Amino acid sequence: MTQVKAKERKLTIARAMAEAIAMEMREDEKVFLMGEDIGELGGVFGNTRGLYTEFGSERVKDTPISETAFIGAAVGAASDGMKPVVELMFVDFLGVCFDAIYNMMAKNTYFAGGKVNVPMVLMTSTGGGYSDGGQHSQCLHATFAHLPGMKVVAPSNAYDAKGLMAAAIRDPNPVIFMFHKALQGMGWLGTEKDAIVDVPEEAYEVPLGKAAITREGTDVTIVGITSGVHHGLKAARELEEQGVSVEVVDLRSLVPLDRETVLESVKKTGRLIVVDEDYHSYGMTAEIIASVTEAGVPMKAPPQRVAYPDIPIPFTPVMEQWALPSAEKIIKAFAKMKETEK
Amino acid sequence: MSTEVLIPNDLWEEDDEAVITSWLVSDGASVSEGDMVAELMVAKIQYELRAPATGTLSILKEIDDVVAKGDCVATIA
Repeated sequence: MTQVKAKERKLTIARAMAEAIAMEMREDEKVFLMGEDIGELGGVFGNTRGLYTEFGSERVKDTPISETAFIGAAVGAASDGMKPVVELMFVDFLGVCFDAIYNMMAKNTYFAGGKVNVPMVLMTSTGGGYSDGGQHSQCLHATFAHLPGMKVVAPSNAYDAKGLMAAAIRDPNPVIFMFHKALQGMGWLGTEKDAIVDVPEEAYEVPLGKAAITREGTDVTIVGITSGVHHGLKAARELEEQGVSVEVVDLRSLVPLDRETVLESVKKTGRLIVVDEDYHSYGMTAEIIASVTEAGVPMKAPPQRVAYPDIPIPFTPVMEQWALPSAEKIIKAFAKMKETEK
Repeated sequence: MSTEVLIPNDLWEEDDEAVITSWLVSDGASVSEGDMVAELMVAKIQYELRAPATGTLSILKEIDDVVAKGDCVATIA
C-alpha cells in the first residue's frame, strides 16, 4: 500500500502563465493583453486561456497579423503609463518588429533621462523539436540578452513561470518572457513531465536575475536554459549511475545574469558544461564560460558547451533530432572532459 | 469502495481518440471532487478531466497513452 501523498495542484507552464497574468489583471487595471489568437482561442500555446472570458475584449485584444503595429502600440501604451503584456507568437518573427523592441522599448527610459518607464512584458515562444522549420524553431536567447535595456527571463517549469510572470508584470522595466514550446504541456509539442510541477494558488514572485540550483552535486556543474535544464537533469540521472555527482543550475533569468550562483557552483565542482538550444557560437553558453574564466575559477578540465549547431534549423525530423541538444550529448561532453584529465 | 475516473462521452464532439498530455496530481495523491486532474488532447485541442469524487487517486493510464471516450484512466478510493 503506497503512502497517501499531500494534496497537490500541478500546473503546466501554459496554465501557470495564464494564472499569473489573470492575478495581475485583477490587481491592476492598467495591465492588458495584445497578440495574435490570444483572445477567445486562449493562445496557440495555451498561455492565455480563460483571460478573454474573464476580462473581455477591452483588456484582452486579439490583433491583426502585424507585429509591427501591435508591439509598437504596446511600447507607446507602456511609455504612457499602461502595463501591456504582448505576445510575439514565435520569437523567430522578431524581424518584423525589432525596431520597436530594441530601439524604443529597450531605450525609451534612457533617451528620456529616466522620466519615462516602459513597464511592458513581451512573451514569446522558443524552441523546436517538432519539425516546424527554421523560421518557427529558434531560441534566440542571446539576441535579446545581448542588447541592453531589457530584462530577459526563460523558465523551465510551471512554478518559476508563474513567479517570473508576476515579477515581470510588476517590474517597471521592459521584460522579455521566453517560453519553450515543448515545455508548455500542450501535447502536440511533446510533454516534459518535469516541467509540470506543484504551484501555489496564492500570488508570489520569483525574483528576476536569480538562478536556481535544481539539483545539488559535487563533480560537475551543468548550467541550463529552459529545455537545457531538462536535458541536464536527464544526464545527471544517468551519470549518477556511473558514480558522478552532477549539480544542475537553472539560469531562469538571462538578464540580469546571476553569475554569482554559477561561479559558486563551479568553484565547488571544478567542471562546467553549459546547455542551450540557441545557436552554438556567440551565445549564452559562451557568456557563461567567459564569466567563469574571467573570474579565475580553477577548473579541472576545459569547459564544454552543448548547443545548437551553427546551421538554419532543418525541417526534416531526422536532421532536426540530430542537431538538437540532448542528455546523450551532455554525457559525451563530460566523457571528453574526463579524457583531457588523464 | 472506489470510483472510476472515466472519460466523459460529451467531453468533445466527435469519436476521435485522445492522448493524455498531463496528470496534474501524482499517483497516490489526494483529490477533491471537481479538481482538475488531467489534460487530454484531441486534434491539437486540450480538454480538462475533473475528479468525479474525493479521495486518493490511482493512475491507470500514463502521459502519452491513447484513450477513448468511456475509458477508465484512474480510480479514486
